[in-house]
Amino acid sequence: MSDAPKGPRIIVEDAAVAPRLDFQWEQAVVPVAAPKVPSRWSGLGRAAAGAAVLGLGLAALDATNFVIDQFGRGPVQGWATAGVVVAGFGLLASGAWREVRGLFSIRAVERARAAFAREDLPAARAEALRWAGGVAEAASLQPALRQAGSTGELRALLEGGPLLVLDAQAVALGRAAAVQSFAVTAVSPSPGLDALVFTWRGVRLVRQVAALHGLRPGLLGTMALLRRTLLDAATVAATDVAVDAAARALLSNKLLEQFAGEAAAGAVAARRMLRLSKVAAEACRIVPPTP
Amino acid sequence: MPVDPLGGLNDVLRGVEKLGRDLIGQPRIRLAVTGLTRAGKTVFITSLVANLLAAGRGRRTLPLFEAAAGGRLRSVRLVPSASEALPRFDVEAHLAALAADPPAWPGRTDDLSTLELTLELDRPGAFGGMLGSLIGSRTVTLELLDYPGEWLLDLPMLDQDYAAWSAETLRRLRRGERAASVRDFLAWVEALPAGATADESLARRGHALYRDALRECRDGLGFRFLQPGRVLNPGPRGETPLLWFFPLPYPSGGGLASLMAQRHAAYVAAQRAEFFEPFFRRFDRQAVLVDVLGALHAGQAAFEDTAEALAAIAAALRYGGGWWDWLVGAGVARVAFAATKADHVPGRQRDALAALLGTLVAAPQGRAAEAGVATSVHALASLRCTEDAVATLDGRPVAAVRGTLLATGQSAKVYPGEIPLRPPEPGFWEHGFFEMPEFQPPKLDAAGGSGVPHLGLDALLAALIGDLL
Ligand SMILES: Nc1nc2c(ncn2[C@@H]2O[C@H](COP(=O)(O)OP(=O)(O)O)[C@@H](O)[C@H]2O)c(=O)[nH]1
Ligand SMILES: [Mg+2]
Repeated sequence: MSDAPKGPRIIVEDAAVAPRLDFQWEQAVVPVAAPKVPSRWSGLGRAAAGAAVLGLGLAALDATNFVIDQFGRGPVQGWATAGVVVAGFGLLASGAWREVRGLFSIRAVERARAAFAREDLPAARAEALRWAGGVAEAASLQPALRQAGSTGELRALLEGGPLLVLDAQAVALGRAAAVQSFAVTAVSPSPGLDALVFTWRGVRLVRQVAALHGLRPGLLGTMALLRRTLLDAATVAATDVAVDAAARALLSNKLLEQFAGEAAAGAVAARRMLRLSKVAAEACRIVPPTP
Repeated sequence: MPVDPLGGLNDVLRGVEKLGRDLIGQPRIRLAVTGLTRAGKTVFITSLVANLLAAGRGRRTLPLFEAAAGGRLRSVRLVPSASEALPRFDVEAHLAALAADPPAWPGRTDDLSTLELTLELDRPGAFGGMLGSLIGSRTVTLELLDYPGEWLLDLPMLDQDYAAWSAETLRRLRRGERAASVRDFLAWVEALPAGATADESLARRGHALYRDALRECRDGLGFRFLQPGRVLNPGPRGETPLLWFFPLPYPSGGGLASLMAQRHAAYVAAQRAEFFEPFFRRFDRQAVLVDVLGALHAGQAAFEDTAEALAAIAAALRYGGGWWDWLVGAGVARVAFAATKADHVPGRQRDALAALLGTLVAAPQGRAAEAGVATSVHALASLRCTEDAVATLDGRPVAAVRGTLLATGQSAKVYPGEIPLRPPEPGFWEHGFFEMPEFQPPKLDAAGGSGVPHLGLDALLAALIGDLL
């Protein structure tokens, strides 16, 4: 230690100009399949699950006991009660199943977008193929998707074909909703009613647009989609120009022009509907918006 | 302590906002990167942003950080500019210059610039993903600020009056009497009569001498505790008459002394309003970057000066812990100290470098710990430019590093000397001064899609913001 050379030193190795160091960084950091992290139930999750198990389980036990009691009274009463119980629980289960499926389909969109953002070709291709399988407008694209060599190519295929068609259809849906809400707000007596109609029509529009993209959102799924749509709406002010043009074209209709003077509120509602269709379509796309 | 009612109100508002954001899982974190001039702040922020963006694309550039995130990191985005009045920190330009042929390090920073980064994460727990699509995923927004390191040394001036500042500054300046321009200034100022009049040409003359002395202290002697910071780095507006003051041996008379005191007060007020209040009054995490090796090689005086500067800055910052901070939820949660340019020493000496940093920042670390802040010490290379090698010196093999010199493009081995674990004995400095050569950055992808090579950035980030993920 003490006999180590004192003081720092620079030793030039070679008079010639050397190439830059290369750590092969790009290759060293290429993505690998992320290790699955075991996820644990949170305290709140456990409590909720416990409550659900207790509620449903006890109800089921109760119902079973009741059915057995009824059989004691006679076969007719027994079978009738069993039928009622099975139908009731069956409807509950199918409803829950649809909700979960709806939420899963929204999650699939997010997965696909993340894969595109990561430029993770295998995952993006798998998601695109799965999506194309469920959307009529994209079914014919599957062979080309299978051949795509980069996420950019996948994106070009999707954006140039089916997504263009779907966007046009979403605009058409939006226009229909806009005309309807314009008409309703023009004749409705109270602003409260306007708001109600607008909300109901808006939610329906979002679900219609989602269906175009092969999503079947249940109640929870619709909520998730609405949240995303409203979040996106804040960021797509730029599309307002297009929306304004469409609204103007719509309102220059001879019949509607009669109203437009006194029904400025209706014009606003119509414009909002058009915009909503646009943003909803944006939120349902399986490719992320281009930055 | 609430200093003024307006600042206090601000604290309350920000406290409420912070609480709300934490509740919905979208915290917003101001990360203060503090470091003296040439400590490596600009390179650090560039590397941090490039590597986080790459990690958001799934690249494994920050393994320890991703482990801290439990594999839940989904994407990382730069927040698009809105209507900020400050320039935007230009990561793309810095990366392009580093990757270019020939490469260039970022130039001297002479203005403030900011950037915000949003990390999007799955919510934790078995149903985190589901919950995320229902109520939105967790997002952590990081606010970053780059600024000239010289200005940081104005923070200790905020609580001093002119007389106290003069005495302190002259005392420190005398340690630099090796430098000719320092001797010139000291001789001139000590020859001034006690009752010198407030003559403008006298003030300008003194200022010019003082400025030259400060410059030589910074560039020739490696000193950092030099005030006022704007004399060394006036910023985009250039020099203003506000800057034309300097320390006097008789600071409390009339005439020249009162003119100097006026300007000093105005300068302090301006720095408080433009630099300290908006950016350093309140922050959540802090990375303190220190060029330990540079200070060590610049000699004992520079080394002690650096320690003193770091302690003075820490004393001027607000770490929380008081009742008011507790009430409004202000205060810093974590501080990470990092010895930058750790690629200047071979692998097995990096622990020694971190240990030396630990003793160098003992005072700031103690002050943070007193306020209940968690601290950690790291060795860091934001942009790794060397590989480990063995050199033969005086017939003996020693651990060294090999890199390409920026100036000549030649490959060279550098033996950085023995890194002591503790502030060394005076005898250590006998070998004289040494300046580490600048190395060329390694081969980089100009688009920066894969981040940049680094040492220890992931460990630092995990320690600093890992708990937020
Ligand atoms: N080898 C090496 N040099 C570095 C590193 N970070 C900074 N430097 C050097 O330190 C200089 C100053 O860095 P900079 O970020 O501009 O310092 P700032 O004044 O704190 O912003 C750069 O020009 C580089 O030469 C690093 O990680 N490795
Ligand atoms: Mg800088």
